Amino acid sequence: MVSAQKGQVMVITGNAVAAYGAMLCRPEVVAAYPITPQSELAEQLAQFVANGVLDAEYVEVEGENSAMNVVLGASVAGARVVTATSSYGLVFMYDALQEASGFRAPIVMINANRETPGIHAVSSGQQDMISARDTGWVQIIVENDQEIMDQIIMAYRLAEDKDILLPTMVNYDGFYLSYLAEAVEIPRIEDVDGFLAPLKKQPPRQKLVPGLPIGCGSHGMEMGYVEARYKHCQALERVKGKVDEIDKLFGEYFGRSYGGQIEEYRTDDADIVLVTSGSATGTAKTVVDAKREAGVKVGLVKLRLFRPFPAERLISALKGKKAIGVIDRSICFGWKTGPICTELKALTADIGVVPILSYIDGLANLDITVPHIERVIDEVSAAARGKPYQDVTWIPMEE
Amino acid sequence: MVETTKKRNRVFDYFCEEDQFAGGVAWCAGCPLELTARFVPKVLGKNMVFVGTPGCAAPVLHGQNVGAWHRLAYLASVMTGVPSKATGISRYFHRIGLDATVVCFTGDGCATDVGFQPLSGAAERGERIIYLAYDNEGYMNTGNQRSSATPLGAATTTTPVGKMRHGKPTIAKNMPLIMLMHRPIYMATATLSHLEDFAKKLQKAKEKVKEGFVYLHVFSPCPVGWRIDSDKSIEVCRTAVRTNYFPLWEADDGKPRFTVNVANPRPVTEFTKLMRKFSHLKEDGLAELQKAVDERYALIKTLVDANQ
Repeated sequence: MVSAQKGQVMVITGNAVAAYGAMLCRPEVVAAYPITPQSELAEQLAQFVANGVLDAEYVEVEGENSAMNVVLGASVAGARVVTATSSYGLVFMYDALQEASGFRAPIVMINANRETPGIHAVSSGQQDMISARDTGWVQIIVENDQEIMDQIIMAYRLAEDKDILLPTMVNYDGFYLSYLAEAVEIPRIEDVDGFLAPLKKQPPRQKLVPGLPIGCGSHGMEMGYVEARYKHCQALERVKGKVDEIDKLFGEYFGRSYGGQIEEYRTDDADIVLVTSGSATGTAKTVVDAKREAGVKVGLVKLRLFRPFPAERLISALKGKKAIGVIDRSICFGWKTGPICTELKALTADIGVVPILSYIDGLANLDITVPHIERVIDEVSAAARGKPYQDVTWIPMEE
Repeated sequence: MVETTKKRNRVFDYFCEEDQFAGGVAWCAGCPLELTARFVPKVLGKNMVFVGTPGCAAPVLHGQNVGAWHRLAYLASVMTGVPSKATGISRYFHRIGLDATVVCFTGDGCATDVGFQPLSGAAERGERIIYLAYDNEGYMNTGNQRSSATPLGAATTTTPVGKMRHGKPTIAKNMPLIMLMHRPIYMATATLSHLEDFAKKLQKAKEKVKEGFVYLHVFSPCPVGWRIDSDKSIEVCRTAVRTNYFPLWEADDGKPRFTVNVANPRPVTEFTKLMRKFSHLKEDGLAELQKAVDERYALIKTLVDANQ
């Protein structure tokens, strides 16, 4: 594959970037229902269709549940599809999310992360995505606007791969990235076509054909159900390597890559490591650099793939470190620690028994600030030196 | 020996396809749903997709525990997603130039209750799909619980008869009328006692769906839940029409008209006496039901007359 040419650089919001990213992948059926902070994305896609920039069926659905069901029906019929949502919208799709993955429908969904029901909160947080973790989807979290663009393109390459065929959710922090305008290189559509071209060379996937006795979503017989579940889990396992492979190919073609399942930042010689995800990672990297200047051997792991959980890559990055601090932008009901921290702790046998400190921060539009991250690094450093430490810290509650 | 020729039923003239279902499927004895499911593809042709949902149709349509009981393409959905999935399929088929009929096939519970929102949405958008609701007036597959299509006074397992309660306290949603208010390209009611009427409506549905949304409401008594003898279900259908309990009407391009005119409607008690779900009703309860039937009929008649 030859390299792509340089695309046009535009200064646009994360929502607009997501709309451009989806449009460049030429979805044939689009269904979306507006919700803060995603609405601009639903509008922009409708405008692309209205202007003839995107040749697609745009279905103005009456709710998010229908948005997911429309793209699911179209995907089962053979279409390339896209939808987008956030928060309560994602919650309202819950039954259809599980059908989508159970049907092995290669849907791409863009989710602008936001807090979820319980307490009404029109504010940022990753609780929506976290709460959908057992729906069988691939879930990826990105850090900035350029990564939104690039990850959407990579998501199609992943979801529609014949060895994967799983719905894929691209998540970015609502409010922070959704409304943040950054300079983003918009790839040329011919180059996106080129990057996605290998999908067309695959054998055609199974689809619904009128007149043929093909059933989708059939009642599984006992063993049929187990077999479908087993194959679904096997496909999720294959996602891990495929994400790394696609990231590498994307880098060779477009000149940008993100580390695949996780990004390791200054971890090689680090004694302690921070684990972050999403838009707070940029701030955290700045603090890591400053602490390095001050002689603290700290590194950072950015979690990009949340489902499947990148266990092997995390073990390889974290093994032998003296202490780890995990910042979660969501909570895990029933556990003290944050959700990503809780899952990371399941790897203790492989990483080694070292202090793993959980931090809950950035809920409901509260910023994860430079002083917050400095504090995390200081406490994790002290824990690494054998000082007593607190298992879980809700940073905003202590300020 | 004298040869006699039995008069051939004209409904055969409407069939373009052989039966798409296997014999001996897992539907209850005497269930009109089975005959409806067999009837629809015979008239529409097999170039179709069924979108179904958990309910009475599911065990056979979805091939529960057997793999396949019919030769049709189908998509099984949860109750909340039927017309939306059909929308996605229909939009994509049209986009790629595939000429096929997409038929949603659900019970009244899905259509009037839990799946109503997407049905209303798809109708309003004018999606090119046929939505067929087989109305057995409750959640019969889960064991005869009430739906919002359950009639006034009917005993179900969630509106039981006891010292304090006497069946369902409210009237059924007038679903055909609600759907007409969405102004679909075609709307009709049908039932198995009037097969030619049903076949004509299916043929019309197949044509009209090329332009927009079609809603068909099919009266489908449940021998088990309503406690009817299994050889009486067609008679119950016929009596429902003759008592105006279930009027047969249609609205082509929004113009309502009766397709079967009942000259001298019989009292609703002729209908209720055929089953035991109303057997607890005393005179006043039956009078209330008659009033509900009359009101519903009068409302439709007003619309029909206004269209003359």
